[in-house]
Amino acid sequence: MQTPTRRTFLGICLGGLAAAGAVAAAYPLLSYLAPPSTGSEGAKVSFPETDIPPDGAKFFDYRGSTGVVIRTRQGQLLALSAICTHLGCIVQWEKEKQDFLCPCHAGRYSPEGTVIAGPPPRPLAKLPFVVVNGVITVG
Amino acid sequence: MTIIRAIRRWLEVRLGIDELVEKQLTGYLLPRNINAWYSLGSVLLVIFGIQVATGILLLVYYVPDAQKAFSSVSQIMNDVPFGWLIRMSHAVGSNMMVAVLLLHMLSTLFMGSYKSPRELNWLTGFILFNLVLAISLTGYLLPWSQLSFWATTVATNSAGAIPVIGTYLTEFLRGGKLVGPATLGRFFAVHVALLPVAIALLVGAHLFILERIGVSTPPFGLKETTNTWQGDRFRYEGHPGGIPFFPNYLLQDATTIMIYLAVFFAVVFFDPYLFFPPTAFVPADPYRTPAHIKPEWYFLANYQTLKVFPNELLGLMVQGAAMTFLALLPFIDRGRERHPLKRPAFLVCFIGGIILYLAMMIWGHYS
Repeated sequence: MQTPTRRTFLGICLGGLAAAGAVAAAYPLLSYLAPPSTGSEGAKVSFPETDIPPDGAKFFDYRGSTGVVIRTRQGQLLALSAICTHLGCIVQWEKEKQDFLCPCHAGRYSPEGTVIAGPPPRPLAKLPFVVVNGVITVG
Repeated sequence: MTIIRAIRRWLEVRLGIDELVEKQLTGYLLPRNINAWYSLGSVLLVIFGIQVATGILLLVYYVPDAQKAFSSVSQIMNDVPFGWLIRMSHAVGSNMMVAVLLLHMLSTLFMGSYKSPRELNWLTGFILFNLVLAISLTGYLLPWSQLSFWATTVATNSAGAIPVIGTYLTEFLRGGKLVGPATLGRFFAVHVALLPVAIALLVGAHLFILERIGVSTPPFGLKETTNTWQGDRFRYEGHPGGIPFFPNYLLQDATTIMIYLAVFFAVVFFDPYLFFPPTAFVPADPYRTPAHIKPEWYFLANYQTLKVFPNELLGLMVQGAAMTFLALLPFIDRGRERHPLKRPAFLVCFIGGIILYLAMMIWGHYS
């Protein structure tokens, strides 16, 4: 093996400096381009119960995604994620049929979110919610 | 290592990189007495690269809409991680670009490098200078601050002094009777699409011409071959026995670039608002002109000239004449002598011109 010379040592130092410089340039660049954290992790969404029309649905932004609260014909309240588990489209609440339809590939879900028909592999995710003095709080 | 060597060998057989390196880098000889001033062109190339890169990054978050422009810039400054760094690099970089460009022009003048046969180099450089001023002016409007708004109002207004077409020209520049959302749209398009491409093309032409004719020999220091160019047919000015571009002069380029970056980042990190008056931080208000509105430092001399002459048209004509004279200097100054001390009349004009420019600038700043 060749003994390290002054030239190789300086070469390594120069390479190290260049690498440090590249990191110093890349860190702010990647931070600048990275999507901003919304800071909404664990955030709760509240709205009055009257926002939901009779046997209708209310859609809302929920932790950077979309949630929905429905009131069934029997007057039962349900909170679900509105993201279709097939390919991520937003489901629609069909008032007449009392079920969810995903318009993208005709996936159908019951009001509880279980798959009735179509390609969705999983039921809609249930969201925890409480009703206090007529105010619904999801989260 | 053998794999890298094999790939290199494979590419070498197909592309002949070694020959290119020999011709353009190691075998590209420069005059023995070449000095550090010649590296300012490389510095400008680096600055242009930084401006393009930071400009593209700013486009990610900037919204070119009169309603949202100011808040999008505030968002870049306050919310986006390192947004301040990208924006301040772009804003400070534009000021530094003009400053380095002025030094580059002054050194070319001082050493007589603009002279025959390098008229085309001077002309392309001169057009580049004007394009850089134009890109600075159009970029100035984009943050849609009080400063942007009123500086653009004043700048576009001066076009109105041109007889016959003046009023029409002002409205054409503004996209309306007054500076407004339409102005932002057209300045944005010119700033991000038209001028960068024009500058890149002209930089290419500038470098091509430099490469074809060869680097000029500085008029002082070690003597080498005498220039025997007669002006009747093309001849590449070679420098036998000179300094190889790579690694020798590239090291000088790198040194000057590092010095520049040190100054540049010192301003960005320690005095980022050096070039920003307080009106730069107030959103544009078309109904309220701020007091003492002044242009950027590099337009102060022009601004003061316009104020000195009682007639705006006369002021514009004087400046136009001075710029035309500067552009055509290599065609007017036909003498072959390039040493400044052997050209006393030139030296007096050179120093007098700098003093006049600085005096007008300082006067403009304090008036």
